[in-house]
Amino acid sequence: MGKQDKTLKVIGKGLHVKDAVEKVTGTIRYGVDYEVQNMAHGCIVRCPHAHARITNIDSSKAEALPGFIGILTHEDVPQNDWESAWFNYRGKVLDGIGRFVGDDMAAVAATTPEIARKAAELIEIEYELLPAVFNMEKARLPDAPQIRDEGNERDPYGVSWGNVPAGEAASDHTVECDIFYESQQYAPLGRNACIAEWTGDRVNVITSSQTPSELRDGIHEALGFPLSKIRVQALPSGSSFGQWWSNNFMMISVLLAKKIRKAVKIELTNEECMATVKRRHQERTRGSMGCNKDGELTFFKFDHLIDNGGYGFKDDVGFFCVDMWGKNGHGDYQIHGINTNMVTAGCMRGVGDCTLGASVERCADQLAEQVGIDPVDFRIKNQIVAGDELRMQHSRHNLKGEVDDYIKSVPEHLRKDWPELFKLSAGGTRALLETGSEAFNWKSRWKGWATPTHSEGSVRRGIGVGTGAHVCGVEFEGASNAMVRLNPDGSAKVHAAVGRQGAGAETTQAMVVAEELGLTLDQVEIETGDTDSCPWNHGSLASSTMYRTGWASREAARDVKNQLLAIAAHEFFDSVDPSELDVEDGEVVHGDPGKHNQRIPFSDVLNELRSDSLGQTSSITGSPRVPMPPSTTFARQFGAQFAEVEVDIETGQIKLLDFICVQDSGTVVNPQVLKNQVIGAAICGTGFAIYEHMIFDENTGALKNGNLLDYKLLRCADFPHTTKVIFVEDPDPVGPFGARGAGESPIAAGISAVAQAVYNATGVWVDMPMTPERVVTAIKAAHA
Amino acid sequence: MTVLKVNGRPVEISNRGDRTLATALREDLGLIGVRVSCAEGECGSCTVLVDNKPMTSCLMLAQQAKGKEIVTIEGMANGDDLHPIQQAFIEEQGFQCGFCTPGLILSTKAFLAENPNPTADEVSVGMSGNICRCGAYPYIVKAVLKAAELMDETATA
Repeated sequence: MGKQDKTLKVIGKGLHVKDAVEKVTGTIRYGVDYEVQNMAHGCIVRCPHAHARITNIDSSKAEALPGFIGILTHEDVPQNDWESAWFNYRGKVLDGIGRFVGDDMAAVAATTPEIARKAAELIEIEYELLPAVFNMEKARLPDAPQIRDEGNERDPYGVSWGNVPAGEAASDHTVECDIFYESQQYAPLGRNACIAEWTGDRVNVITSSQTPSELRDGIHEALGFPLSKIRVQALPSGSSFGQWWSNNFMMISVLLAKKIRKAVKIELTNEECMATVKRRHQERTRGSMGCNKDGELTFFKFDHLIDNGGYGFKDDVGFFCVDMWGKNGHGDYQIHGINTNMVTAGCMRGVGDCTLGASVERCADQLAEQVGIDPVDFRIKNQIVAGDELRMQHSRHNLKGEVDDYIKSVPEHLRKDWPELFKLSAGGTRALLETGSEAFNWKSRWKGWATPTHSEGSVRRGIGVGTGAHVCGVEFEGASNAMVRLNPDGSAKVHAAVGRQGAGAETTQAMVVAEELGLTLDQVEIETGDTDSCPWNHGSLASSTMYRTGWASREAARDVKNQLLAIAAHEFFDSVDPSELDVEDGEVVHGDPGKHNQRIPFSDVLNELRSDSLGQTSSITGSPRVPMPPSTTFARQFGAQFAEVEVDIETGQIKLLDFICVQDSGTVVNPQVLKNQVIGAAICGTGFAIYEHMIFDENTGALKNGNLLDYKLLRCADFPHTTKVIFVEDPDPVGPFGARGAGESPIAAGISAVAQAVYNATGVWVDMPMTPERVVTAIKAAHA
Repeated sequence: MTVLKVNGRPVEISNRGDRTLATALREDLGLIGVRVSCAEGECGSCTVLVDNKPMTSCLMLAQQAKGKEIVTIEGMANGDDLHPIQQAFIEEQGFQCGFCTPGLILSTKAFLAENPNPTADEVSVGMSGNICRCGAYPYIVKAVLKAAELMDETATA
């Protein structure tokens, strides 16, 4: 895909992130830090029941409160469905039905946040109670209470290959599993707020979001209103991991502001962030997996349930562990999304690959133990490498068309440089496992399955390895775009609506453009949140930012460069073919200095432009000029992690002792940023493995631990500060400068590494989260 | 009005008895670097120094700070010159989203005042009062050690 890279000057450098000074001086502004003049404050009136229909709303007491401004109810709201990215929400903004405790029922506005909160308490709503269901198995039954018009469950998403009965017949060993996963909460540090302000018939929305364009789309759908009249200014979020995309409280802010004819800000409390927005699904895997006596997998068969809560609508979901372990010839995966009367569930970092992925890893480990192969070797034997076929490709029932239709619609000459589709283009786990086991000294530390590496009193130590895969962005909801503008002084600005959630996109996207244009990072600035200046972008989700947006940013920069070189050739280099020219250190140069030894600063070229000699204007804007190949059909990211844990078999306490993360994300654009992100994922995965879970009231589905006091997160001393990250860089044929996605495979790898280490320490597989109570119970049950 | 000393200067806040120190600092004084997340003293984002001690300002009433010396993140740099702790957090990238960073930097200041030459293990325990949901912990430990080094150089220079 274009000229191969000369020596890289920006890519690969651990440069400080662009907003580092803002972060350490506390001047960076999140959604909660903004206000607009004369704004009102809003508060959402929440449903106290699991499932209920409003029969009457009496706001008279609230209206009598000094400072009350107005109320928004379902009667004010257009009854259109809106959808968040990846069906993380599908429903109306308000429709008079509460589908979980804490659901949005109405909203009030007042002069201060305190009055708004008081007014919300004074709204008296009468409800007709409806039957509710909290268990996804029960929600599937024919006589279950129906939560949505579309039914609680739609068609499953399925992938099959080969002939599973033939694979079963060829198996010498078979294992079965039935594993339930509790919900993880994003548990955001930093709340969110949304300001909506109408000017005439246009609305401006200021909030923290990873998906500015999707948010604008959601407002468009909810209001039935032209996209051109909606401006989203997405701000940095605190830790997000999929929570702050487009959320219903943002839609409520827009409609409340319209109703009261005044700007309004709704700020969520920490409890509202945890109990009413989104969470990771509860999930359940049932399945079986087999191998022959040599430890080669013979078949996979998995049936996986995910609980979407009230408004999630995610059925059409690819889990990429299927590809990673998909080398065997026979497989069948079915994934069912099911609605329940609990808070909406959606995509959290590593969706599916943290859960189904952990189930597949556990089954693989059990087979490896039966055959007597160590887990590193078993993975090397059975996981895919570049060139192998990918499985999760063809069936996309909820989305428009199939990927084959997309491929056929691209003219053949634009496809000639594409990698072979439906096969892994680069990377894999083998090199990660080899590198990691050497760094971890695996071979000499491994004592065998279910064998502690150290035993003293009630303390058992064990080691484990886990692998994780994920996609590098998806093309189905739209092709992510970016725009690059070269200014008259030779500096550049990137416009890429990916938000700023701490993963460093504001820096790494600018690095891609700086490299392509021969500029320094300091000469390239970026706008990540304003939909008025950025073209449509899928946002920071599905690990797409570096891969799909990075591709678009580089292509846009390439377009700028081509325009710049054409003008420079004509004006300064005797009309040579522009392909003989290049950019370097902010100047246009000839590829052969013997022919032309001039160095023309970009600003000189752009000042020629000002004379309109080529009928141009004073700055150059660039956009991608070719279609990006459909990356789900060939690009994956991989992580392998190695952990040592210490388990006290009397108290059930688990301590992490040693950790190594090995990551294949292709070319590393900024090692400092990526190391941090990979370790962060390992920590989040370890949290999922040993602490984190949402506890729901069994009678009401209400969240019982919706605060940071009762929802336990790992702290600094809970994770080894000696943890190392090692990169194996297999450059990608399509991604910018060979880069691929990064943020989601490492969380999946960490979960399985810790789970296996606990097994090796104790001889017992413990379902996650492996809290002390569960560890002790599992050990007692095994010895009973 | 109530007078506090914030970042070296006397300032006035309202006399209201129902406000936390965090709210007064953010709303009366516009010090948005005081980050509030859990509002129950658990996450440490809102940490400020009160007479050199780290306090979760979401749990302290503003009136309790009367007459005391408060340092927020806005009081750390001297003009464009960052405090060595801030410099160290940049060099080691002891953050991702940045929300917990002001609280961590102020906790670091108090921690290093008590223990100017800590081991990595001591730092790891010392920083455990502040949650970083992004999981930058190993880099936070490196940043605190780097800060100790930079402050030591400054002191001996």
